[in-house]
Amino acid sequence: MTKLEVAIKAAVSSGDLLLNHYGAVKEVNDKESLRDVVSDVDKLSEIKAMSIIEENYPGCVILSEENGLNAPDSGEKWVIDALDGTVNYIHNFPFYCVSISYWVDDKPVIGVVYNPHSNELFYAEKGVGAFLNQVKLSVQNCKLENGLTAMAFSGKAYNPNMRTKEFEIFGKINDISQGCLRTGSAAMNLCYLADGRFSLALGKANKVWDIGAGLLIAEEAGAMVEFNVIDKDKYLVNYIAGTKASKETIEARLGAFI
Amino acid sequence: MGNKIVKKKILIYGAGAIGRGYVPWIFPSDSYELTFVESNKRLREALKRQKKFTTYRTRNGKYEKLVCSFQECFDLGEESPELYDGIITAVGPRQVYSLIEAFSKVDCPIVLFENDSRLPPELRVLTGKDNIYFGIPDVITSNTAPVNMLEIDPLSIVTEDGISFVEDGASSLGGNISYVSKSEMKKQWAAKLYIHNTPHCIAAYLGAMCGYKYLHEGMNKKAIYDIVEGAMEEMGQAVVKLFDLDQEFVDWYSAKELARFSNILLYDPILRVAREPFRKLGLQDRLIGASQLALSTGVIPEKLILGIMTAFMYDESSDEDFNIRILINSLDPKNFLKIIIGLKSHEALYKLIVKKWNNSIEILGDIKK
Repeated sequence: MTKLEVAIKAAVSSGDLLLNHYGAVKEVNDKESLRDVVSDVDKLSEIKAMSIIEENYPGCVILSEENGLNAPDSGEKWVIDALDGTVNYIHNFPFYCVSISYWVDDKPVIGVVYNPHSNELFYAEKGVGAFLNQVKLSVQNCKLENGLTAMAFSGKAYNPNMRTKEFEIFGKINDISQGCLRTGSAAMNLCYLADGRFSLALGKANKVWDIGAGLLIAEEAGAMVEFNVIDKDKYLVNYIAGTKASKETIEARLGAFI
Repeated sequence: MGNKIVKKKILIYGAGAIGRGYVPWIFPSDSYELTFVESNKRLREALKRQKKFTTYRTRNGKYEKLVCSFQECFDLGEESPELYDGIITAVGPRQVYSLIEAFSKVDCPIVLFENDSRLPPELRVLTGKDNIYFGIPDVITSNTAPVNMLEIDPLSIVTEDGISFVEDGASSLGGNISYVSKSEMKKQWAAKLYIHNTPHCIAAYLGAMCGYKYLHEGMNKKAIYDIVEGAMEEMGQAVVKLFDLDQEFVDWYSAKELARFSNILLYDPILRVAREPFRKLGLQDRLIGASQLALSTGVIPEKLILGIMTAFMYDESSDEDFNIRILINSLDPKNFLKIIIGLKSHEALYKLIVKKWNNSIEILGDIKK
């Protein structure tokens, strides 16, 4: 199987597991903050995804949300978030996904995002294109004022001083677009940009596993994408992705974001 | 002083298989002037350079030749559709929406040879015009020709001797067309959709699986012929019940179709027919949709499922739907049917395909050997 095929298989298998446990979370623990939590199902889902990848690519390097790096980073690695949107999931709000990407030289070259609740499988390969299920995606040039947008915030514990600034940006975007959402899943935000439901998706100090796959999917669908790893040890990334018109407008109004 | 014949001016959108190969036979040059609109730059420039092309019609086991001289070949947007007495489109169902602006300018009959009966009513709404009619070119037209013909004229094309059925509202166009009532259109469309389209693409997917280039080559293989014939029988039983067609008509139509799929003069490329498998696997379309119809009449779609499975296995890297291979490799049957095809797990067809999945792969593997 190719890497893309393995990533799809792993994402869908983990997604099936999430769906089977939906509404039946037994254990929830806080990580960095009240809103940064991990459930027993996150761990099961991660084990599932990792086992499929390791079975097909023995000895590969994997960076996962719950376990970190399984081996020294050699420049090529799998990056897994086996449940992006855990808070949504534990509250039975069906907006969550599995996100798996493959990185070469600090850039994602394969990305898969699967929301088992909506049967939406997003996938992309660098230079090949992005797809939702069987359909190839192509971003239209929606203007900011005509589109819905989404922003993902840094963790509460990351930098409390930054949060006021983030809320300011959120409010401004909310006022100059048809609305800015905080959905709880950064991966899904980027996929919704890729298929035209959003015109802009951006985030501050998000974890790389949250957005690796989504960034590539949005870019391959034709969105303008920029990201910046701001803390390599903590895997934190600032990013902005949007239609050409939306990204240009936001940068003209608010300055450089990343 | 002799009377000068005023020829009708026909604008044809699409100079592909139907537009170039078949339409010139139904609008003879003594009464009609043809003009093309073609968005494919290479084809358009070749047509502009040559000012004519050759279309061959197979009849009674032989070719008839027609050298078609046309007025002009425009790029989309260069044409003035309001200058014509009639418009024919053969651009493909996905592309026809790009013609909405052109349609909204004209009052002459517009006939859509687009293999989708839903398009004319939809376009009537979108354009606000009621002069848009459905047409069924009951014909197979290749988009190429044998090498010896292409050496003489690289734009050569081969078509069958078919019949066109068009809604009678467009009858002012004339030509070699059967203008028929809505009920007759419905009957012809049911036959075309399920006794022609469904087995036709199954023949193509089976042929592609075995590595053949032309449809008749695959049909020459008994195992392929038997599956195509079986699928046609299953659909025949279903349409008799669903559309109140008489068995005699269905039997005649089926025999005609098997003969045309096997026509060794036609050189119908498998890639032309098999392309874009996801569209054919749509819930309402010629494979999944047809099988659902068969099931709804109590017909078990055994051979149709083999056809569906062959479409799932379609492996053509240059196809727009090349990703079907990625998805079939990575997803288990249940997830492929649920996520990609959109079948629900409680549906009979879903259950049947899952049940027959492994056995179908074995059967198809044996045919491929």
